Amino acid sequence: MNVEIDRRPIWIIVISKGLRPLFFLGLGLLFLYLINLPTPEGLTIQGQRAISLFVVCMILWVTGMLPLAITSLFAIVTVPLLGILDRKETYALFGNEAVFFILGAFIIAGAVMHSGLSSRIALAIMNRFGSTQTGLLASIYLLAASLSFFMSEHAVAAMLFPIVLEIAKGLNLRPGKSSYGKALFLSLAWGCVIGGVATFLGGARVPLAVGMLKEATGVNIDFFEYMVVVFPTVLILLLIGYLGVTKFFPSEIEDMHLAKMLFDRKMKEIGKIAYMEYSVGIVMAITIFFWMFFGAWLGIANIAIVSVVGLFVLKLVRWKDIEEYVNWGIILMYGGAITLGTAMERSGAAAWIANTVISDWASSPYAIIAVFSLLTILLTEGMSNAAVIAILLPVGIGMAGKFNIEPKIITYAIAVPAGLAFCFPMSTPANAIAVSSGYVTTRDMAKAGAVMMLLAWIVFNLVARFYWPMVGIKV
Amino acid sequence: MLVSKGIFQMNCVLLILSTSRTSQNAIEYAVGLAKKEKAKLVVLYIIETELTNEVFDKFTDIGFIGDKPSSELAEAIMKEYRQRGYEEMGKVQIRAMEENVDFDAVTTQGDFVEKAIEVIERYKIDTAVAIKRKRSAFLKYFSKSVVDELVEQAPCKVEVFEE
Repeated sequence: MNVEIDRRPIWIIVISKGLRPLFFLGLGLLFLYLINLPTPEGLTIQGQRAISLFVVCMILWVTGMLPLAITSLFAIVTVPLLGILDRKETYALFGNEAVFFILGAFIIAGAVMHSGLSSRIALAIMNRFGSTQTGLLASIYLLAASLSFFMSEHAVAAMLFPIVLEIAKGLNLRPGKSSYGKALFLSLAWGCVIGGVATFLGGARVPLAVGMLKEATGVNIDFFEYMVVVFPTVLILLLIGYLGVTKFFPSEIEDMHLAKMLFDRKMKEIGKIAYMEYSVGIVMAITIFFWMFFGAWLGIANIAIVSVVGLFVLKLVRWKDIEEYVNWGIILMYGGAITLGTAMERSGAAAWIANTVISDWASSPYAIIAVFSLLTILLTEGMSNAAVIAILLPVGIGMAGKFNIEPKIITYAIAVPAGLAFCFPMSTPANAIAVSSGYVTTRDMAKAGAVMMLLAWIVFNLVARFYWPMVGIKV
Repeated sequence: MLVSKGIFQMNCVLLILSTSRTSQNAIEYAVGLAKKEKAKLVVLYIIETELTNEVFDKFTDIGFIGDKPSSELAEAIMKEYRQRGYEEMGKVQIRAMEENVDFDAVTTQGDFVEKAIEVIERYKIDTAVAIKRKRSAFLKYFSKSVVDELVEQAPCKVEVFEE
């Protein structure tokens, strides 16, 4: 038998073994303390319980002591147990339209990945434009961004990573040393991050935020409307990001023929486009068309699920394939976040926090947007972007009610910056992938990312100030 | 450890490389030391799995894609790390052959300190050469480098290159 000896100092071993039970004991005591405090004036008993549960879930989401999905399940069962909402209402929230939209969008993205269509598009574009070092960098960056308009940014990053790695190796770029190597992987990560906020499809955080908004206020944001509001921010950030990458990491190479040879070989390897790729591409295109122009009328979740059924009717995928391409656990996270957000809203807890705890600093609607977007963009660097939305949006919607701001505005101010995580590998899988290549170091990413984060926040607020009124969003 | 006529003679020199710790200076030094001492050069390459695991965990916890693409991604990263390991070992082997130094190579993955000590004990190493990454004063204050841990725990002398 192989006996592993823990060679660490004894005090570290004791702390590391005892920390977890102590943490949960402390959390339990904190929960009991909060729930047994005298109910403050203006807050209902249900509201107090909702806030107590919210604090516990927030701590669990921030610390990551439990998987996000498990924290969400805990929230779902605790809401009816504490009498915040009744059981029927609570579990019905899990069947929210946003959850089914996310489910459908994940399945369609899984089918696209499985068919190989996304890899073919990526290679074809790189082959066409990648003959110069700026062309290659721009094509990776814009590819990552534009593919993230249509499928999850994480899927795009995972799909493009092996291709970019082969390019870097083909060009003999030295990991950790080559400036062009850093630029390639940072382009991949930032392209995915910026592109991921452009539509509902780049990440599930936007449907989550829209779902929470709808449950809390009955107000909806449709697919097309979101794109119109957010697109200028995305375009400006894409430009700034590209300039930033090329400025921070100028290219040191001239000869690109090795990359061209690689693309030629890869294109030969994948052969001619197959029936499955065509068909999945057509289903995807039709689905996006319907989401954009008929989403408000037909319902985006309905369109997504009908498309999924279509994929199976046309025998383009098998259930087994889809099972492997979708992270089912994360869907629980979204269901739980919507339940908790609604519990905060309906119990009056969100409005009470907005009125009593944080209303003093809020001098104007723009100040509220600025503060919420700043808070979001900072928090999202250290934790899951969906968790940031789950924590901030209920309070934000409460603030909107107090200051007579359209709750949509607060939703944008949280949902969009929640996706803009540039600084650390732990912020988002796209960053983690880039750092894992060994070409970009954590320090490179943190330095360039901090500048990008600040610029993203400024751009977002300027767009909110000057562009939103032009498209009917009155702040 | 060989001792002849009261003069210490080295038997084995260990050069420890890893995914994020390689250095041409350390390679040159280790080869030179082994040649000078007429010792065998053992090169240990540790494939670091922490980052790959972190990426995989991140996808499992907050990612939107399922097990298959996550596993494929983790495999692609590991394959790349292994490839880099072979390339580094190849470089050292060439230098050792040029200097006529007896050479042995070990590739492994897992905990840096544990694996290094395992090889030190197995080969009865006299001097180990390790590479330490330059770290900020902030990080130095709050956490100990694995190479520092190795220096403390290793049953032999450890020479450290900071790069």
